[in-house]
This record gives sequence, C-alpha cells and structure tokens, in this order.
Amino acid sequence: MEVEDETQSHSGMPARSLDAVDENGRPILPELPDGPDPSTRYRRSHNTRSALVSLWQSRGITLSLAQRDLRASYSQEVLGFAWVLIGPIMLMVVLTFLKNVSNTKIDTGGIEYPLFLYVGLLPWTFFSTSVSTSAGSLVNNPLLNKVYAPRETFVLAQIIEAMVNTVAAAVALIVLFVVYGRMPEATSFWVIPLLVILLVFAVGVSLFFASLTVFVRDVRHALPQALQLGFFVTQIFWGLADISQGWRIVVCAINPVAAVIDGIRRSVFFGTAPDLTLTLIAAGVSLLWLMVGYRVFKRLETGFADVS
Amino acid sequence: MSAEGAVSVDHVWKRFRVDRGRRLLRDHLSRAGNTIRGSRNDDSWRWVLRDIDFQVAPGESVGIVGSNGAGKSTLLKIISGLMFPYAGEVRTSGQVGALIEVAAGIHNELTGRENVMIYGNLLGLSRKQVNARFDEIVEFAEVEQAVDRQVKYYSSGMKVRLGFAVAAFLEPAILIVDEVLAVGDSSFQQKCLERMREVLTGGTTLLLVSHDLASVGASVSRGIWLADGRVQTDGPIEDVLGDYRHAIEVEAEQNSRMQGDIRVTSVATTGVDGRLPAVAEDVTVKLTVTTDRERDARLYLGISEGQATPIFVVMHAASLAEGSTEYEILLERLPLPPNRYFLWFGAWDHHTLEQATPWQPIGPLLMSGQRRLDRVPKAIVRLSPVYVSAQWSKVQ
Repeated sequence: MEVEDETQSHSGMPARSLDAVDENGRPILPELPDGPDPSTRYRRSHNTRSALVSLWQSRGITLSLAQRDLRASYSQEVLGFAWVLIGPIMLMVVLTFLKNVSNTKIDTGGIEYPLFLYVGLLPWTFFSTSVSTSAGSLVNNPLLNKVYAPRETFVLAQIIEAMVNTVAAAVALIVLFVVYGRMPEATSFWVIPLLVILLVFAVGVSLFFASLTVFVRDVRHALPQALQLGFFVTQIFWGLADISQGWRIVVCAINPVAAVIDGIRRSVFFGTAPDLTLTLIAAGVSLLWLMVGYRVFKRLETGFADVS
Repeated sequence: MSAEGAVSVDHVWKRFRVDRGRRLLRDHLSRAGNTIRGSRNDDSWRWVLRDIDFQVAPGESVGIVGSNGAGKSTLLKIISGLMFPYAGEVRTSGQVGALIEVAAGIHNELTGRENVMIYGNLLGLSRKQVNARFDEIVEFAEVEQAVDRQVKYYSSGMKVRLGFAVAAFLEPAILIVDEVLAVGDSSFQQKCLERMREVLTGGTTLLLVSHDLASVGASVSRGIWLADGRVQTDGPIEDVLGDYRHAIEVEAEQNSRMQGDIRVTSVATTGVDGRLPAVAEDVTVKLTVTTDRERDARLYLGISEGQATPIFVVMHAASLAEGSTEYEILLERLPLPPNRYFLWFGAWDHHTLEQATPWQPIGPLLMSGQRRLDRVPKAIVRLSPVYVSAQWSKVQ
C-alpha cells in the first residue's frame, strides 16, 4: 500500500526499543546457528533405581487411575461387575457345547471340561486384556499431559484394572468347584509363584507394546489379531498333555502363559508340582520380556509427549 | 536453584518432525532399509524452540505472549517436565502444577464427587488434602446441587468449572496456566483471576500463557515474547506487550494489500501545531481516499492497540466523487496514553450496507506525552487504556 511516511518520522520518540526493530516489527536479535552445540544435547539419565523409587512414590496416582476407569465402567451399568463374569462364562458354555457336539477328544486328565477350561481361561483373559488395554493407554489419553508421574503408571493402572476384573471373574470358579463337588489339591500353593510369572510377563509385554503403539500406530490393528491367535495356540480349551514335550517347550518359550496354565492345572487338579523345565523357561522368558519391555519403554518415553 | 519455585531454562532447543503423524509401518521399514544401506533418511525437522534461555525467581509472575505456533505451549510442557528438550536443560524446584485444558481430566461417567476425589489425587493431592478442601472446591465450582450427579449430565460450563476448581486448589510452588481463563462466564473468570492472585500472594511462581493481552498485563509483572521459537523481548510486561502489539500491527499491515473499492492512498497524523500526537491533546488524521466511481459510503476510522478490535471507531457518511478525496479528521483531546497504536479503516456502501473495503490497518499512530495511566492493583482488570484526567477534591 502507498502510505506516505513523512509525518511519522520516529526520531526522538520516547518509545523504548523502537529503532532496534526489523521490517517485521521485531527486535533485531543476534544470528543463531542452525542448531544447538552438540555438547549441550539433552541426555536423560537412565537410572533404574531412581526410576523405580519415583514409580513407587506415584503408587497413589496409579491406583487412582485404575479406580477411575473401574468406577466409570461399572457405575452406570445395570449389571455392573456381573459383566466381568458373563464374558468368560459364555465362552466356557460355547466351547463346552462345541466340544460335545463335535465329539472332540481332549485329555483333561478326568477333570470336568468346564472346570478345566475355566481355569485356563482366567490367566489368558488377564493377560490379553492387560496387553490390549495397555497398548492404547498412551495414545489419545487426555490425562497424559496432566498427570505428573512416570508414564509407566498408565500401563500399570491398566494391569491393575485387568487384575481386579480377573479376580471378580474367579468367583465363577468357586461355583464350578462346588457344582462338580471338587476341592483344590493341597499343592495349590504353586499357583502363587505361577501368577507372579504371569504378572511379570504381562507387565513386560504391556510396557513394550504400549510404547511401541505411540510410534507405530499399526500395532493397534496387529495386536488384537495376534492375541486372538494366541487364544488358540495357548492350551486353554485343550491341554498340554495333547502334545509332545518338545513342542511344549516351544509353546512355553513363546508364550509363558501356557506354562502358567499347565502349572495351575497340575497343582490345583492333580496334586503335583508344575513341570520344572516348563516353569523355569516361562520364568526366564517373562523376566526377559520385563527387562526388554521396560528398557524400550524408558528409551522411548522421552518422545511420548512429542507424538501423542 | 535451591529456593522453592525457581525455574531455570538453560539454552533450550526443541525440534519436531515436519511430517509427524504420517508414521506408518512401511515408513519405518523404508527408513530402516535406508539406514542399513547406509543412505541418509531425508528427515525434515522444524525448530520450535531455539536457544531459549531465562531464569525465573521464586514468586515472580511471568506472562508468555506470542502468536500461534510461536512455541509457547511447547515451552510450558518442557518446563512442566512432560516433554523433553532436544538440547539444553530445564531445572525447576518444588512442585509444578498446571492449569491446562482442565476439563479434559474430568470423567463423564463419574459423579462430581468421585471426579473431585480422583482428579485431585491425579493432580498430586493426597486423599486427606482433597477431603480437607472438598467443600471449598465444590463451592468454588458452583456445583453444590449436582455433586452426586454424573458429570455427563452437567452443562459444559459446570464441567469446566469443576475441572478448574480441582486444579485451582493445588498449591504448587510453580503454577503454569495455559489459556484457561477463556473458560466460563465472566463472573467465573473473575473468580479464577482472584483465586490465581490468592495463590500468588502465597509466594507461588506463575507462568501464564494467554492471548488475552489485557488480562496478561493485569496479572503479571514480567513478560516474555516468543516468536519463531526465539525470545524476542524479555522485560517489564508493559514494554513487552508494547513491542508485541507493534509487531502484530506491522504484520497485519504487511499482510493486507489495500483492497476494496475505496482505497486509502495516504494517511498522516499530527498533533497540535504540527507537533507529534500527545495524550489528551487534539490529534488530526489526514486521510486521502480514492475510488473509481462516484458513490455514497460510510467510512469508518478506528484506533487499536494490537488487534482488529479497536478501542474506538468514528464514522462518516461520505459522498465520494470519482478520484481522490482528502479528509482531515479532528480527534478532540484524544485520551490515549503514550504507546504505539494503529489506525484502521473500512468502508461500507451507504445504501446497500455492502462492504466496500474490508476492515484493515492503514498506518501507525504514536502517542507521546508525559501523562501516564495510574497503576492499578492486580484485582482490577482494565479493558482498554483510556486516559481521563480527574480531579479529586474532598467535600467539606
């Protein structure tokens, strides 16, 4: 535009930095290099011990996150917590029905099929809901930018939630034991270390996929497929007795849940200890997943806020 | 750095990938392939923060201004520890609390009471602390009647108030506020400002980002102007706002090609006796408008401080002949304090009221003079700067 500039001669004006502005009206600043001095690069110190301390300090936040979701999902439904039971029970009924009509022979060691099935269903349901809900916990989460706590709390909250749901679903197990007139064997204490292995595995896999999903969104589509496949590959509606020991080792190394389910069945139904080889393999693989998953999570953590 | 509430931002750089969001599996595979083959990935990065360097003392209140995309929110995220810098370092001492999109933390399926408890925990208050403040929070949010109702049955205003109320009762050493004052009705906004000032009186450090320059000016003492990821000015808030507003005007003027049927071809301002325009003195604006055909139009002339919204507008119903018409507009005893202002112009057809010339800046106006506005306490937010001379006399 053609505005004459004569009357607005700025000389002697009281305004402060007026003569030091460029044509954009901005102060003239010293030239900056194209990037920072490499020696000033921000390096995040990976100190596992202090990371775990701050995770422990955030336990209240973890619990609140879990509580928030749990309350929200059941507060308003008519059946509330009953829904946790309905899913596995329906699956149990359908699979029992299918087995009976197709006359498939499955070696349950003399245990009634619904009971045998349900004991396998619970650990798997826990594992698969943990992993699938964790994977989505860091993307599109409005709380992510509000809660000042280590990002693992979001994943752990999902696992706590899955745990609570699984415990609720276990109520049906008591009913099944009563209905079939059975009692858990004295060796049932083995269940505790087996569940620890399951928890370690679930946390490791969840941490891994939660952080990966932030950067590779395809994981969100691939994961449900993989979990569905896992349902059939894991001996939930069949038993490890159906395959050779060589295959058992392969199955348990890929999927420690298989060893956990097998161990639980042995100790609860048959009064024997879990298979030592399979249990140790499962424990080792789970621990490896936890270490790798945690490492990957911490490594990628610095970039979470940039992307999601 | 030992005192609670100090913030130190030490030569911070941050960059983002330009094409972020398009990171599919095949992109990763091709990148991995490139890395293996030894060829470089053609990543393009954009610096959003460049060499940001400043210190904030405990208890200081700092307003961060700048246009969209200048890097303000990224800077706040890095200070609050949610994001990590590319280079440089940020150190804070004491608890950091942030009021950013407060309503997003409120869960629709939960009742107001549950939300207060859980959201309070998530923001870092213990159960005991929430219990102790529960009544105050509910009263502040004005949801006493609805506290046991699910939030999804709340009005959107109630929801925002609830979120703000929970966050407002944190007592962090460093409070970060990002554009939250744009929520709620004006009486609630007033309440929020009051609450913020209450927290500040307790010695909390404040970092405030807002596009509402008037409320920034009223709430903080120091300003930082960010543009293109760099600190442009850092100093007393009045100076920083002045610089920033001036740049907005210059930019607006550059971007607007004089368009429309009625064009301003020259503009000039003078004060009394050819001196510079001064506070509470007569100011003359000389304006030449040019049009291609004879027409009746309403000409509007306004003066603004930094935005398209002017402080005042004067109108003249004109009969324009073809060619140029020169006007002298006398603004009597113009009550504007010393600062940079901009003249805006627009024209509408007198009969059809159709826009002939869009509202646009046409030139700067500098007010000089010694008379300044009286400083007001932070509890009073001034809308526009108008200098009115007043005589106080005691009535016997």
